[in-house]
Amino acid sequence: MSVAGMGTAAGQARPAGRLPRLIAPDGPLELAEHIDRYGPVPFRDALADFGDGSLISEVEAADLRGRGGAGFPAGRKMRAVARAGRRAGPLRSPVGTAVIANGAESEPASIKDRTLLARAPHLVLDGIALASEAVGASRAYLCVHDSDDQLTGTLSAAISARDRAGMNRVPIQLLTIGGSYVASQETALISMINGGGGKPAFVPPRPSDKGVRGRPTLVQNVETLAHLALIARYGAEWFGALGAGAGSALVTVGGTVHRPGVYEIAVGTPVGELLRQAGGPTEAPQAILAGGYFGGWIRYSDALDVPVSDPALRAAGASLGPGIVMLVPASACGLAETARVVGYLAEQSAGQCGPCFNGLPALADAFWQLAFGRADRATHGWASQLLTLVAGRGACHLPDGTAALAASALRVFGDELYQHAAAGPCPRVRRPGVLPVPGYPGGRA
Amino acid sequence: MSILGAAAPPGAIVVNASTPLWYLTRATGLVALVLLTASMALGLLSSVRFQRPAWPRFVIVGLHRNAALLALVFTGLHIATTLADSYAPIKVQDVVIPFISAYRPLWLGLGTVAFDLMIALTITSLVRTRISYRSWHLVHWSSYLCWPVAVLHGLGTGSDTPVTWVLGLTVGCVALIAGLTGWRLAYGWPSHAVARVAGALAVVLTLVAGTAWLAAGPLQPGWARRSGTPPSLITGGTRAAATPLAPRRTRITARTSTAPRPASTAARPASTAARPASTAARLEQAR
Amino acid sequence: MSRRSGRSGLRVNPVACEAHGICIELLPELIRSDPWGYPLIRPGPVPEQLLPLAKKAVAACPTLALLLTRDD
Repeated sequence: MSVAGMGTAAGQARPAGRLPRLIAPDGPLELAEHIDRYGPVPFRDALADFGDGSLISEVEAADLRGRGGAGFPAGRKMRAVARAGRRAGPLRSPVGTAVIANGAESEPASIKDRTLLARAPHLVLDGIALASEAVGASRAYLCVHDSDDQLTGTLSAAISARDRAGMNRVPIQLLTIGGSYVASQETALISMINGGGGKPAFVPPRPSDKGVRGRPTLVQNVETLAHLALIARYGAEWFGALGAGAGSALVTVGGTVHRPGVYEIAVGTPVGELLRQAGGPTEAPQAILAGGYFGGWIRYSDALDVPVSDPALRAAGASLGPGIVMLVPASACGLAETARVVGYLAEQSAGQCGPCFNGLPALADAFWQLAFGRADRATHGWASQLLTLVAGRGACHLPDGTAALAASALRVFGDELYQHAAAGPCPRVRRPGVLPVPGYPGGRA
Repeated sequence: MSILGAAAPPGAIVVNASTPLWYLTRATGLVALVLLTASMALGLLSSVRFQRPAWPRFVIVGLHRNAALLALVFTGLHIATTLADSYAPIKVQDVVIPFISAYRPLWLGLGTVAFDLMIALTITSLVRTRISYRSWHLVHWSSYLCWPVAVLHGLGTGSDTPVTWVLGLTVGCVALIAGLTGWRLAYGWPSHAVARVAGALAVVLTLVAGTAWLAAGPLQPGWARRSGTPPSLITGGTRAAATPLAPRRTRITARTSTAPRPASTAARPASTAARPASTAARLEQAR
Repeated sequence: MSRRSGRSGLRVNPVACEAHGICIELLPELIRSDPWGYPLIRPGPVPEQLLPLAKKAVAACPTLALLLTRDD
């Protein structure tokens, strides 16, 4: 997995089909070493243009998808922002757009973004600079979680070093974001930067039309920007040489595996292979949760052959999300795990949308009953009804994601539900939770 | 009714061409107050989500808007009759610029303020869909200022304040709005607790201060003079206060008996010399 | 896309909606109430004959949360 001889020439210098791409084992690199290994940042030194040879075309050709969870095509987003920026000013004059690099990662089970920022900050910062040039940005923001002071310090130093070397085309402001789950949603970030409450906003207007200070804004996950920095150097073909065109992805593997952590895989690697890399299960496995807390459950035996890609995981009843695979053992109760997560998510409501701040606590209560109390038919019926009542009726995806997770649990753990209904909560509900839920023992604060 | 402009015997009711306008001014003023109160009440009911089978929400909101528009119409009539009435020196600019009139500047000015606010409220509501909700809402909050200012204007400027049923009507309106405002403040407790408590305190303070002012001001003798009525309009001595709105007490007698108040003093002999013939002969309550 | 061929859809801005419920009263054919008083809109375009009522409901919303969107 070592990277072969590097020169500063782009293209063939980087073996195409080799991992790792993003997180080198000997990282983090100092700025000089970074330039040595990857070459200088390939700025095109031109105003944003869309013709062949522009960065946006390259990214579109690579079909780079966002790595923040939504999986939206990055090239299309960049093109929309660049286009909007050309006529967003008074009398349809051009205006400086904005770029937000989202590394806030408020999903408790995910650590890939902070790992990437700690181990390869300059790749991300390259990506920010390149994206800023491509969309005609006049300012950029890098958002990180506020719980990690050391990371903030490292990133601050890295940004300053690049400033001195003239490598930042636009000023990059480092921002720390509070821990609430919805705070890292793209419109919530924009609201916070604009001095608002940092809560998700109703769309329209989309950020690509109107975001920071009313300007078209590009919001991308930090991993997406890191991939972009490599595509800019080595091209779309190089990117697609792995993962059957979809490139590589960082995945947080957690739960009861021997080596939980962040793994970079070729998209489409089977779940079983990923778990093997993480050392395999520490105890008899039961199921995996793929896609984080907006994802879904898959029985272990069914999951092994499922490729780790969004289409395949969706077909199996889950999703890729921001790249999370959690293994839950047989000693745990899937309903109990879900109930704890749903309870946490219900508390994370921004409190803006009636169906969410009414429906999610009701769903959490119902699920609590199903897992720890009386799992009778009425409660099950009410929970199922709530799923349809909340989905899609909020400004952000918190209600939909929670409903998806709950629906998946009811489907996959149907047997357990039947047992709970017949004989009450199983003894496994008392096992300490495997899925990290802030506020619970073992959960991240 | 007696002769226009002629000097009248003491205690006589004298009317001239401006008197019907004066009645209209006071009448339209009262009606406008009642309509404004109704609009305010319906708005408050709407904000506490009041609903009954015969009172769907959209009816309450619709009535609120209609009452407000009607209030505006009657306020317009009230202003028009005031301007047309040559008795008091109120000019066109006094309609929109407050506190510069020659007639009871402060109390009339309050009416101007209320009218200005009504215009702002009406215009923003008519273009509600074109301005941001925030802007509309912010301006709409000024209704909490507009209504009490209108009431104060009525009490301070109006010549009918001591009349029992007028006073009763005003007090009734105040009680209604105070009660509904209390309901509005309580609805949704405990969110925005500080603002609610502050609002409740403001309501209580306003009621207390208002009552004290009412008792010491308009309900006391000499209010016309103290409130800034031009001296030329205040006749010396008591005159039969020709208030057709008052219960039927208006009789042409030597003794005056004006608004039914225990404090009404015995009629003082009129001094005809003190009444220039050129001034309007309508009688102000000169107490 | 000519104006005439565009179809209109009803949407609610969930942040602005404060469950006044006036749209539910004015347009029961398309909007019903959820257990907490918030509007549930029937998916799909607004039928031609209900369009005037829909516009009235949009204008009547106290917080301007109900939106009539052109199909795009």
